[in-house]
Amino acid sequence: MSIAQTLGFRRRGPRAQTPLRTQLTSAQIGWLGVLLLAAQLPQAPHLPIWVAATGILLVGVRLVVLRHDRQRPQAPPPRIPSWTLVLFAVAAAFAVRASFGYLWGRDPSVAFLFILVAIKFLETRTTRDGTLLVCLSCFLLITPFFYGQSLLAAIAVLPAVVLVGATLDALTVGVGIGGAASGRGAAIRRSGLMILQGVPVAVLLFFLFPRFAGPLWGLPSDHSAQTGLSETMEPGQISELSLSDNVAFRVDFDGTLPPSRERYWRGPVLSRFDGRTWTAGNVQYGGALAPGGNGAITYTVTLEPSYRMWLFALDLPASLPRADNDSATGEPGGLAVLTRDQQLLARAPVTQPLRYVQRSILRSSYQGNPRFDANANLRLPDRNPRTREFARELRERHPDDRQFIGAVLSWFNRENFVYTMSPPLLNEDTADEFLFDTRRGFCEHYASAFVVLLRAAGIPARIVTGYQGGEINPRGGYMIVRQSDAHAWAEALIDGQWQRFDPTAAVAPSRIEIGLGGALPAGERVPFLARLDSSWLKSVQLTWDAINHDWRRNVVGFNYERQRSLWREWQLDRLVPWQIAALAAAALFAWAGLLAAWLLFRRRRQERALVLWDDLCRRLARAGLPRHAYEGPVAFAQRAAQRWPQFAIAFAAIGQSFSTLRYGETAAPRQRDALVATLERAIEVLPAPAALRQAT
Amino acid sequence: MTAARNRFPANAALATGWIARARQRAFRVAPADREPVVLRHSRIYILPTKRGWAMIATVLTMLVASLNYALSLGVGVAFLLAGLLAAALLHTFRNLAGIEITPLSAGESFAGGHVAFTLSLHGGALARSAVTLAAAGAHASGDVSAGAALTVTLEVDAPARGRQPLGRVTLSSAFPLGLWRGWAYVHFPLAGIVYPAVEIGAPPLPHGESGPDGLAAGRSDDADLAGLREFQRGDPPQRVAWKAVARGAGWFTKEFDGIGGGGPVTLSWASLPALLDNEARLSRLTAWVLAAERAARPFALTVPGTSLPGGQGREHRRNALAALALFPGQAGP
Repeated sequence: MSIAQTLGFRRRGPRAQTPLRTQLTSAQIGWLGVLLLAAQLPQAPHLPIWVAATGILLVGVRLVVLRHDRQRPQAPPPRIPSWTLVLFAVAAAFAVRASFGYLWGRDPSVAFLFILVAIKFLETRTTRDGTLLVCLSCFLLITPFFYGQSLLAAIAVLPAVVLVGATLDALTVGVGIGGAASGRGAAIRRSGLMILQGVPVAVLLFFLFPRFAGPLWGLPSDHSAQTGLSETMEPGQISELSLSDNVAFRVDFDGTLPPSRERYWRGPVLSRFDGRTWTAGNVQYGGALAPGGNGAITYTVTLEPSYRMWLFALDLPASLPRADNDSATGEPGGLAVLTRDQQLLARAPVTQPLRYVQRSILRSSYQGNPRFDANANLRLPDRNPRTREFARELRERHPDDRQFIGAVLSWFNRENFVYTMSPPLLNEDTADEFLFDTRRGFCEHYASAFVVLLRAAGIPARIVTGYQGGEINPRGGYMIVRQSDAHAWAEALIDGQWQRFDPTAAVAPSRIEIGLGGALPAGERVPFLARLDSSWLKSVQLTWDAINHDWRRNVVGFNYERQRSLWREWQLDRLVPWQIAALAAAALFAWAGLLAAWLLFRRRRQERALVLWDDLCRRLARAGLPRHAYEGPVAFAQRAAQRWPQFAIAFAAIGQSFSTLRYGETAAPRQRDALVATLERAIEVLPAPAALRQAT
Repeated sequence: MTAARNRFPANAALATGWIARARQRAFRVAPADREPVVLRHSRIYILPTKRGWAMIATVLTMLVASLNYALSLGVGVAFLLAGLLAAALLHTFRNLAGIEITPLSAGESFAGGHVAFTLSLHGGALARSAVTLAAAGAHASGDVSAGAALTVTLEVDAPARGRQPLGRVTLSSAFPLGLWRGWAYVHFPLAGIVYPAVEIGAPPLPHGESGPDGLAAGRSDDADLAGLREFQRGDPPQRVAWKAVARGAGWFTKEFDGIGGGGPVTLSWASLPALLDNEARLSRLTAWVLAAERAARPFALTVPGTSLPGGQGREHRRNALAALALFPGQAGP
């Protein structure tokens, strides 16, 4: 009869357990396990295999045991004593120490956290443990970003973010009353909805919350072996690097694109040679910038974290790099300095994606200083006798430096040298073996042998490493330079000018003109993305890279400088901090007000009948006939019909249709719509409350 | 000077009055709410739960670490969770805002038992989940579905006879994520009544007016059965013609000719042994009222200040017990 329905309620004693202390149900433990797995998975690829396997296995084992328990609830498994877990954790710490060689660093800490969370999960029993685990999983969410902030990495974390909400939901609903609000789908839906509703707050904070200009505490000095150029070069090193499709940097050109053969991205300059390995010489600051005339080109480089100091620029840099989007504060020179051998050295290792604007003039020679440079670039170890003998003989025929170099290059071109990515291994006298025995090599072999020949002939020369070429991404209109574009060439000091020579071009000109994929003989192991054929897979990859480039530019690269320039754009920089805070607070209040209003006044379609009924009850109460709490719709409608007999038919229709809608068997949607329409029309028949009050 | 000195206490009184009003408004310390109360934003308080504080600390730590290492995505994830926290706050608010609380009834009990207070929650067109009502050490939770009412009964300990006010009721919920606890105070002038504890092993009822013959066993009730009349609510169960009910003939109440075998009894404060203190007397009288009711014997009750004429039935019994419960003087053990 009465609408009032007494649903199941639970009475607890006056001193009931506080909710945070209660035991977790197995469903809640299941939620925690799934959350942990979701938080672990994006991190796992960046960990040593044994760490990833142990962490995930421990969680999996508990979940399997849990499932087993649920099937046989009468035989709970023996409880694992806490001290074994403590021992386990200590053992894990030692194992991590042994694996990394040290414990207090970023990578071992991340690995230890990864295992520790899994161990904690083994002994999770109370809701307090549950809260702790949720918080630890949140930390696991940001650790993958230490190793890469691609769009994919961001997407990989999203399921875990939704699961954080859903697990909190499950922990709460389990403590309270299950009821209709429980259920796996409902928890995920509610969590997803709340995260979506919170997105405006997240976006606002992301752009307005002040970023740090520099780190508060030390940045991690440890980093796993990064692919990239280094300060040494030995045979086989660059050919190995060339197998990697990893992106070294991306370039947006202002204006025209230089041709491929002009695209020498200058990196480490190596001048010391021990017979096998080339290493960098002493760094001398104070290099002179090439005079930037009309031919200078401007471009923006987005450098991937290399954990090294080199910033790459086209030969030759005409300006110092300047931080992107920061025309006011970023003075040139704040980012890097120029050395005498025209290397751009950053002030700190590049640990973040770095965007800088650079100007270059495309020239292959620059002013050297024979007094400083000649000696250091003539030294040769007492090795490679056959090469030195050959150089001496050739020098006798070509006393002029340029003629001698021309003779060497044409010799490379004439003899049956092979350009290959899988050259045979070389032993002690690398130049001898390469030039006279194997004759199969990659760019570093040619550059190295070339410099040895020149030095033996008394011409100062050195190795320059860097990247050559780069591929235009048609989707984004920018250039991608990959590790497979790594290259080594040579410079010789002739007439006081350092002149660039590329012996690889003498052997395989297409390497310089087209790229690696065009230069290697068929059947060679070419990196997938360096191949020339435009398969659809490569086109998908290029599209993906374009999206990632935008992502990097606008989301990942949003740092202190970008924030400052954005504020300038919005003219926020004129405001003092408290005004910005007030602005943010006002925006937050506006969001809260809008969302609260939407939450409270959103009326669902299926609740239309309820809304109508509530309105009617309010109107009748104002007309002097409030509904009693015990009165159902039919009884109330009858009473109203007695009070206003002239509307008896309308009231009968109202009582009938509403009670059927609310308490009748679930009708087909069309039927429900018809009933709602009946209810609506019947209510429309009634006059306003004031008129009803007057009516007899 | 005098004037100034005089003004100060007036100001102080004003200030105290204002503070008292503010305190009343904020914490509902006195039963000043008119039914029904609809929870508006001015009544709802929200603070983080322990879990909420833990999550806030976690998000802050994630934020500082990400800012330090300039991990833009870490900052993004931290703020995404901050958005979740903020949205959860509004959902907690939404779960409580607009709930209508109506006090329905206050129960009765004997000292040492529980008084049941019944309140009704109505959520309007929105469903409310995991709402907890708490008052005087008792609490109960439930979900209120959309358009329906939830009747909640709070069983409050009743240690001593007298009026037992419900006191301040706290309506709270940590739905949906358990990160925020929203609550509101309501204070209705709702009071139950606690009768004196029943004396255990009380002496039998005193003799009725009709003399020692009426002392009587329960059997004498049936002796003078006059007839049956239709059952009315409130008739004592021992007078119901259960056989007729069992036959399916309907509900009837047995009527007796004149006065039952036991005859009316007078339960008098004055006639109790002088040794007994007030509470013991009240307990005994309570036991006798129940015994008389059980024996279906009319009784009159005389305690100082109150005197009930002879009678029987549910109403009479309640009046008698209420008179005993509200007997002035020290209540409690």
